[in-house]
Amino acid sequence: MMVRHTMLFLGYELRSLLRNPVWPLFGIMQPVLYLVFFAPLLRSTVPGGDMTDVLAMFTPGSMMMIALFGSMFAGFGLINETRNGVLERLAVSQAWRPAIILGRLLKDVIVLILQAILVIGIAALMGLRIGVPEMVLVLLLMAATGLFAASLSYGLALTLRDENGMSQVVQFFAMPLTLIAGLFLPISLGPQWLQTIAKFNPLYYAVEAGRSLFRGDLSASTIPIAFGLFVVLTALTLTWSVRSLGKLAG
Amino acid sequence: MIIEARDLRKTFVVKRRRGKREEVEAVRGIDLEVEPGEVFAVLGPNGAGKTTTVRMLATFTAPTSGTARVAGFDVAKEAAKVRENIGYVSQAGGIDEIAPGIESLLLAARLSGMSRKQAQARADELLTAFSLTEIANRPAKTLSGGQKRRFAIAVGLVTAPPLIFLDEPTTGLDPQNRANLWDEVRKLREQGTSVLLTTHYLDEADALCDRLVIVDQGKIVAEGTPEGLKKEVAGDVVTLRLEGTAAARDLLASQPYIKEVHAEDGILRAYLDDGEHGLPHMLRTLEEHSLGIQSISLDRATLDDVFLKHTGRSLRDAA
Repeated sequence: MMVRHTMLFLGYELRSLLRNPVWPLFGIMQPVLYLVFFAPLLRSTVPGGDMTDVLAMFTPGSMMMIALFGSMFAGFGLINETRNGVLERLAVSQAWRPAIILGRLLKDVIVLILQAILVIGIAALMGLRIGVPEMVLVLLLMAATGLFAASLSYGLALTLRDENGMSQVVQFFAMPLTLIAGLFLPISLGPQWLQTIAKFNPLYYAVEAGRSLFRGDLSASTIPIAFGLFVVLTALTLTWSVRSLGKLAG
Repeated sequence: MIIEARDLRKTFVVKRRRGKREEVEAVRGIDLEVEPGEVFAVLGPNGAGKTTTVRMLATFTAPTSGTARVAGFDVAKEAAKVRENIGYVSQAGGIDEIAPGIESLLLAARLSGMSRKQAQARADELLTAFSLTEIANRPAKTLSGGQKRRFAIAVGLVTAPPLIFLDEPTTGLDPQNRANLWDEVRKLREQGTSVLLTTHYLDEADALCDRLVIVDQGKIVAEGTPEGLKKEVAGDVVTLRLEGTAAARDLLASQPYIKEVHAEDGILRAYLDDGEHGLPHMLRTLEEHSLGIQSISLDRATLDDVFLKHTGRSLRDAA
């Protein structure tokens, strides 16, 4: 029943998505714009100014950008459903409750991976070179980051139940998290204190692991750290969001 | 008994400014007994605790204390079993606005364990029954309030449950759609489905239900059949507007054919069993005492008069 219900919710969400397939395309505009208009500016910062190296450094950052920003807003749709009675109805139906969240999460991850493949495709056209095993790992890493950010977003949505409050909270966290992760330029270029703070930011490991993978360096320690971190964090935020679902009734 | 509730209570803790916590007693000891096949109404003003009561019976909200058995199962300990046996249509409806109505219907059917084929067949059946076939594939946000409400009830009935909860099913609907919805509820009764509905419309409770409770401030103030409750007050009510309300009230209260007199805002309401014969006596008595009548009307007693008798206020003022 657990798998069946999760699949039913996933199917429902995917059909919803297919009725309006344009929205996720807007989501990838941001990283694509960064790739096209910002990456060339970085050529001067890389020794030799080689575009392939610039892309290997910058593409992981732009991918984590969609993993984080795209997914952090995933919960917005759920706020409305706390008011229009949909969640109230599902809560007293025979549905396995975690499936309500899990089905949405899986949809978010599927969309994210499709977006990521498009971004990698565009970067490849611009001169990026990446091997297949590295690419698969990068996609998995994105999926893990997205799962964490989306389940955090669902938890926030179910706890705050207020669009205005939610957008403030998301902005409040997203901005420093991305700055201190070295999304656009590696943190290693910065002063020691910044590098120290970054060690406490899970997103930093995701970006660094992504850069290692794009360089073809599969032995980098940031890769297992990033995966481990996001598995644990996702488990925590997912539990929280399912619990919040149960507390809707007060 | 399809519903049997004993001393149900719900206290919410509301956070106020500066971290102060305040307890709000939404439901303060409700007992209910609903027979299978009955249409049972919970009538009361907004904020009386109707929705909280229904939510506790439908296993959405956990009671603070008290017990309830729905379809033979305990709402707290056997919630999953209760959920298999009920349909629940909340005040908000619970129809996904973006998706076509049929999607909500099919998902609900599949979640209850039906195969794709069974779900489609059951959905078609309900779409026909509620005249929704033509609009089944339109996004729900493009539908009218009445159409959305019909979809919501169809979703609630997808498992053909022996009991369905309808929370304020006609609030916000125009008279035509209200009348249609009443017909749907009557059809449910004919099919033997038990219905528990809440309403703040007197005429709705009067027209639809077999039995009802009147709730006010979290408590039941009266219980019975609509006819029985009205008879308890009186058959008829004479509403008077006149000079010297106080004197007239004392005078009328002493008349043997008048059961009770209420005075409120310069209006007197006199309850009597036989209005047609009592009215001429009343007029004569008032004239003998030189009390000038500005207006007078004779009506059948309504559930509002029952509410007034038990709470001292009119339901129209309370709502």
